[in-house]
Amino acid sequence: MRTLSAAILWLALGTSALGQNPDYQQDPKWQAPPEAANRANPLASRPDTAAGGQKLFRRNCVECHGADGRGLAKKHAADLQLNSVQQQSDGVLFWKMTNGNPDRGMPSFSKLPELQRWQIVLYLRTLKPADNTPAKP
Amino acid sequence: MRSSIAILSLILGAIGIGQAQESPYIVTYDHHLEEPGNLEIETFVTMGVPRAAQSFYVAPWMEIEYGVTGRWTSELYIEGQGTAGDSAVFTGWRWENRFRPLKREHVINPVLYLEYESTNEASRIQKEIVGGAPDVESPNSDLQGTKNHEIEGKLILSGTAHDWNIAGNFITEKNLSRSEGFEFGYAFGFSRPLAKLASGASCRLCRENFLAGVEFYGGLGSTEDGFGVRNSAHYVAPVVSWQVSENASIHFSPGVALTGQGSPMLIRFGYSYEIRGFGSRFTQWFAGSH
Repeated sequence: MRTLSAAILWLALGTSALGQNPDYQQDPKWQAPPEAANRANPLASRPDTAAGGQKLFRRNCVECHGADGRGLAKKHAADLQLNSVQQQSDGVLFWKMTNGNPDRGMPSFSKLPELQRWQIVLYLRTLKPADNTPAKP
Repeated sequence: MRSSIAILSLILGAIGIGQAQESPYIVTYDHHLEEPGNLEIETFVTMGVPRAAQSFYVAPWMEIEYGVTGRWTSELYIEGQGTAGDSAVFTGWRWENRFRPLKREHVINPVLYLEYESTNEASRIQKEIVGGAPDVESPNSDLQGTKNHEIEGKLILSGTAHDWNIAGNFITEKNLSRSEGFEFGYAFGFSRPLAKLASGASCRLCRENFLAGVEFYGGLGSTEDGFGVRNSAHYVAPVVSWQVSENASIHFSPGVALTGQGSPMLIRFGYSYEIRGFGSRFTQWFAGSH
């Protein structure tokens, strides 16, 4: 029984790893304007609202970015744990969520109220940064 | 047997987590398109409360909406109608496409809409009102035989300000089956979610799961009968939607007529179910079947 459980666990972990997208390359054309990049998160002093952000992330983002935010390769979705993503300002992440990048499959989430988008930004900051060393072949 | 299991697996496998915040409008379109690869199945009903010499009717329709790309959504409609003391009839189908020309969010976001309709005169879903008002008095036996092949275009202008969505649609329709000139109509609405912040708790009745607003719609005449609002039906309709689960929402809208044309009240409600990632799962299934 333990052998079977271990096999299922390894299979699940292996499948999950295969689905991640460590080779994600950002779209160089997808750049937030400076005034948007400089916007501060109005919920920065309310870390308690990140729980709502997590719920919104599960509803709206997991399909492409995965439950751990590492991005699904088949969706060409960003690995949100990468330093290159985490180093972006709150304003940039908010702008990207608001506008989307339809030609690369990222929809606009402007239908969510503004504060809910900031909640998601808050939650994104809680994702653990990945080991950003290149993946072994 | 094997194919039945495969189809069942496809359907069950395709049921992923759904997108929140469906638009509450039933007639008005905003600028938000279906996400690429997602399939939404919707069933709606328009119930017409009768005036004197009219009969109560129920006009159900089904929409199957698919996000082809991030800037193109395609949708198929199938519709019918049943009138008290008369009959129930199939009233036709429609195929609509919406295109978003601009990549980014702007104060006003245009969307171009193009639809082909193969319906008959018994159609009463009133998904839009153009020209004057639909005939809700003649018997279905008279109306069903008159077929319409129509092309409809809409200019959708929509934007978001302080969490309010404001959307306006200008509609024009041309009947290819007979000479009716061009008919015109409009829809306009505004709505907003009832809560700006999402709670951390999992809940069905939280305010964040509700959107509410108002929409106005009606006909603007035609090139044959003259452009104007006098001899056409116009409605004002509160709209509310409730996201009942991660991928399903319920919509309700009681519309009240502002003129003496058409039905004095249109009560509409519907149910939407979204299947996320349908496109990729569908492709995978067929790729795996070889």
